[in-house]
This record gives sequence, structure tokens and C-alpha cells, in this order.
Amino acid sequence: MRFLAEILLSGLAIGAIYGIIAIGFAVIYKTTGLVNFAQGEIAMIVAYIAWTISTTLSGNVFVVTGGALVAAVLLGLVIERVVMRPMLGEPVFSTVMVTIALAVILRSSINFIWDAYPQALNLGVGRDIVRVGAVGMRTGQIAVIVMLLALLAGFWLFFRYSRYGIAMRAVAGDDRTALLMGISTGRVHAVAWAASAAISGIAGIFFAITYDVSPAMYEIGLKSFPATILGGLDAVIGSGFGGLLIGVAENLAGGYLGSGTKEIAGFAMIIVILMVRPFGLFGQRDIERV
Amino acid sequence: MRSGTYKETYGELIALTDSRLVWFWGAALMVVLAAAPYLVNAYVLSLMTIMLITVVGALGLNILTGYTGLISLGHVGFLVSGAYGYAVVVSRWGLPPLAGFVAAGVVPAALSLVVGAPSLRLRGLYLAITTLAFAFIIDNLILQAGPLTNGARGITVERPDMLGLSFASDAAFSHLCLAAAILTLFGTLNLRRSRIGRALVAIRDNDIAARAMGINLNAYKLLAFVTSAFVTGIAGALYGINLSYVSVEGFPFLLSIEALAILIVGGLGSPLGAILGTIFIMLLPEVTGSLLRLFGTQAEALFSTGAQELKSTLYGLVIILFLRFEPGGLVRIWHDVRRLWVHWPLRF
Repeated sequence: MRFLAEILLSGLAIGAIYGIIAIGFAVIYKTTGLVNFAQGEIAMIVAYIAWTISTTLSGNVFVVTGGALVAAVLLGLVIERVVMRPMLGEPVFSTVMVTIALAVILRSSINFIWDAYPQALNLGVGRDIVRVGAVGMRTGQIAVIVMLLALLAGFWLFFRYSRYGIAMRAVAGDDRTALLMGISTGRVHAVAWAASAAISGIAGIFFAITYDVSPAMYEIGLKSFPATILGGLDAVIGSGFGGLLIGVAENLAGGYLGSGTKEIAGFAMIIVILMVRPFGLFGQRDIERV
Repeated sequence: MRSGTYKETYGELIALTDSRLVWFWGAALMVVLAAAPYLVNAYVLSLMTIMLITVVGALGLNILTGYTGLISLGHVGFLVSGAYGYAVVVSRWGLPPLAGFVAAGVVPAALSLVVGAPSLRLRGLYLAITTLAFAFIIDNLILQAGPLTNGARGITVERPDMLGLSFASDAAFSHLCLAAAILTLFGTLNLRRSRIGRALVAIRDNDIAARAMGINLNAYKLLAFVTSAFVTGIAGALYGINLSYVSVEGFPFLLSIEALAILIVGGLGSPLGAILGTIFIMLLPEVTGSLLRLFGTQAEALFSTGAQELKSTLYGLVIILFLRFEPGGLVRIWHDVRRLWVHWPLRF
């Protein structure tokens, strides 16, 4: 019983990280209609920036996260302006390939700028153990679950009530009509990229605090794919909860079926989900007009 | 100056080429390539062999991505399963190499049915994600199936000895690869001009219209998947033999990206493009390496420690730059140059 509780809780914690990144996927998909394959790489770069700030400038939690998030927003804006904006209006194949190429470049840039060894991001927080029932959890793991819930609530309110959120939904629905209504689609895309980079940055920093930063960290991006597919690529809230489900499922598979299964549990789920409900649990079904 | 060409029969329309010059120069190129192993040094020969193998793989992916327009990030999965198909049958079971090559094609083709079937309902993005998932699952399955595949230790493979010929020497093996590349080239060229090829291109250009014209989307998409996986599997077997050692680490995910980079740089959907793209992409790290060497020892150290990273950065950059500035790829540039050559000083 205790084993099960441990698996469930640590699954929720890692699932929350997947969920946060999945929200990042969904924000970009919802506004620009493309899947950003470089999401995990952005999370990794932001975590590395946070680590650099913590070792060179100051180890204060707020300085580090604040600085890293500013860097994340800038990174998102630069990527959108330099790489994605010129591809506007190109076929999906081209834009998807561009994000894949971007992922490959960012992934290898780690080895040029930093090095290939794992580093610990030590901010003096998040590594203490607290007892939840009979199980010990790190405070960072609890904080990330709370963060996910806060982000979900925030985005729900943002998309529902804020002017910009409604503009984003309009662009997602039909960008040409949105343009005619006086919405600057270019700016909406830029905001989506910046927000999504910041969100993945948050996930990256949480991952770095609870585990460590390493050049293999981009894999959290790949592992968040199942989350966003399960929730629905265009469903921000669904993607977040999808993350929790995938985290738990992955840990259950790892705990009861062997560690090799843990690595591929999510990917196996992708194939099953896409067979049964290609638009996800909460996503909108595409209806195509001929 | 050549004037316009007029085609009078369907046969002329779908002929591979209407020009004797193309046949002549093609044959001359074959003679040169066949003689090259005896003339060049070992390094150039190894580069040539790996290029010929890559051409086979790129043409395989071209059937799926270029003709049918389905993105696959999982072709490294077909490559590795082809290599294991060969290695298990030949090295572990001791069957003849010819049976190994059959297995190298059939195993990935069977697997492609498993990946292909669910992805029939999916388009663009989703397909990229399922095939990506497949690449990871297949690596894991190989590691798990220890008794069959030797797990993480991998399998040693020898150069084959078949059809009464020995392919043990470097020159002979490169001839085998050349034969495979030529067979694949003519196979895909002929596929393109058959009923099947036209159906695949119709699906790529507009699947709804294709369906309305009576093309069975599911059957043809699966066919594209199976054919592409079969060809890629053969390339994987050759790749494994060339490495002389088949393991999961020998087939990094970067190979999938490399194959897509080849198609994009060369020009999607064109076998000639796949060949030009292969030459470009395979020479790119070499040329960059020698350029860096000009900048002195520090740059050279960067090249030797970060060779893999440098390679992926270059692939990423050429993909982005070509998609942005020349989506038609090298084959378009080649056609433009040829048109300029023939029609100059007229513009058209």
C-alpha cells in the first residue's frame, strides 16, 4: 500500500512537470496551429540559464527564477521573430520541420555553451523532505503540483476573460478573420511564443531543482507529448491534467512492470490514444469541409 | 537551341527521360562509380560507401515523405529493425546472407503495418508524433528482447558472402552498396510513374480530391508505409554491415533528422533530389571540419570534441535555411541552372 502511495505521489509530481510543458505545447498549438517540437529544449536552456545565474550572480531563489524567466520570454520572442515569423503561411510540413530543426540546434548548443556533465541547481529550497501520510515528498515536488494547478486556473481565467486571451482564441479559430477584426496576429503569435517559453521555463526550473540539469533534460519535452495528446492538442486545461495522468501511468508501469516499460509507457499510450480518440480527451474534433 | 518538345503517346509522357544524353551520362557515371573503389584512397572509399547506403535510405523515406507527403520521424526505427533483422538471421541463426537481406526488408515492413495502421487516420503533426514514439519504442523493445537481440551488447556482423561472390573487401562491399543504390533508384523512379506512384502523389497533393477520384486512401498509405519501411530496412542492414556491429547506440535518433534534412535540402519528392541531398549533407560536416581546421588548433579541438553536436547544428541550420529560402531544394536550383544554360540569353 505504501509502495503504491509512493508511486502515485511521485507520479503526480513528475506528471505536473509534464503537465506544465504540455500547457506550453497547447498554448502554441491553440494560437498558431503548430506543434513546437523544441518545447523540451527551451525548458532545458532556461534551466541551464537558471543554473548559470545561481553559480555566477546570486543563489537567491527570486533572483534566479526571475532572471531565468526574463531570459525565457526573450528566447521565445527571438525564436518567434527570427525563425517562425518568416514561415507564416507556409505548409504545416515546413513549419513543423523548422521546429524540429530548431530543437536539434538548441539541443546541441548545450554542449557548446555549457558542458556535457549533469549539474545540481541548488537554491537552498525544494529538497527538504516532508511527510505526506506515510510517504516522504520533496517540497519542490509539492510546489510543482501547486504550480500546475495555479497555471491551469490562471490560463482558464486568461482565455475566458482577458482581452488578449479572447484575441488568442480568435486567432486560433480563424486568423484571417481575426486580422480583419483588428487583431494583430503577429503580436498574438509573439505573445504565445513568449508565454509558452516562460511556461516551459518554469517546468525546466522545477525539474532542475528537484532532480538536476543535464544535456539529456530535453527528454521531458518528448515525454510531455503523450500528455498533450491525451488532453487534446488544443485544450490547455486538458493538457495539464493529461500530464498528471501520464505521470502516474508511467510510474505505475515502472513500478509494476519494470523500469524499461517506464520509458516507453507514455509513447505506447500515444499510439493507443491516437487510435481511439485522435483529438484527445478534451480536444475539439476537427470537422473538415471539402 | 532546343525548341519545345511534343509528346504524342502516353508512353512518351511517362518515359524516364526523353534524352539520350541523360542515358549516356548516367551510364558514364555508373562506370566511374564502379571503377572508383580501385582508384581512390580508403577514406574516400569509406565516405563513398556510406553515401551509397544513405542514398538507399533517403530514397526509402522519399517514398513516404516525398511522394505521399507523410512525415516520419521514426525512420531510424525501420533502419535499426532492418539491421537487427539481418544480424539475427545471419549472425545468430547462421542462415545465408540472402535470407538476411529478405528479413532486413520484411521485419521493418511488418512493423510498419503496426505503426502505419493507427496513423492512417492522422495527418501531418500527429503522424510525426506517432512515428517519433515508434522510434523510441523499437529501441526499447530491442533492449528488452535480450535472448534474441543480445540486448545492449549488440551483435557482430560480417561482410556477406552470397550469390557466389564474396563482398569481404572494401571495394567489393562498395559495389554491393552501389548495386543496392541503383536498384532502389530505378525501383522508386519506376514506382513514381506507375499507377501506384500517381496515386501516392495525388494523396500528397490533396487527399480529399484523391479519394473522390477513387483512390483507396488507407490501402495506398499503408502501401507507401510498407514499401518505404522495406527499402529503409535494406539500407539499415547495409549500414549495420558497414559498421560491422549492430547495436541500438549505432543508430542514434539523429539519423532520422539527417534523412529528413537530405530530402528537404535535395527537394521533396524527387529521387534526383534525394541523391543531391545525400551528397550535400554527407559532405557538409567534412567541408566544415576542414574549414575549421584552417582556423587553427582551437577550432579543430572544438570539431573533434563536439563532432556530433556540430553535425546536428549544421543539419538544423540547413533545414531551416532551405525551407526559408529555397523550399524546392537543390533539384530546383539544378533545374534553374539547366534552364539558364539552355535558353541563355533568353529568359524562358
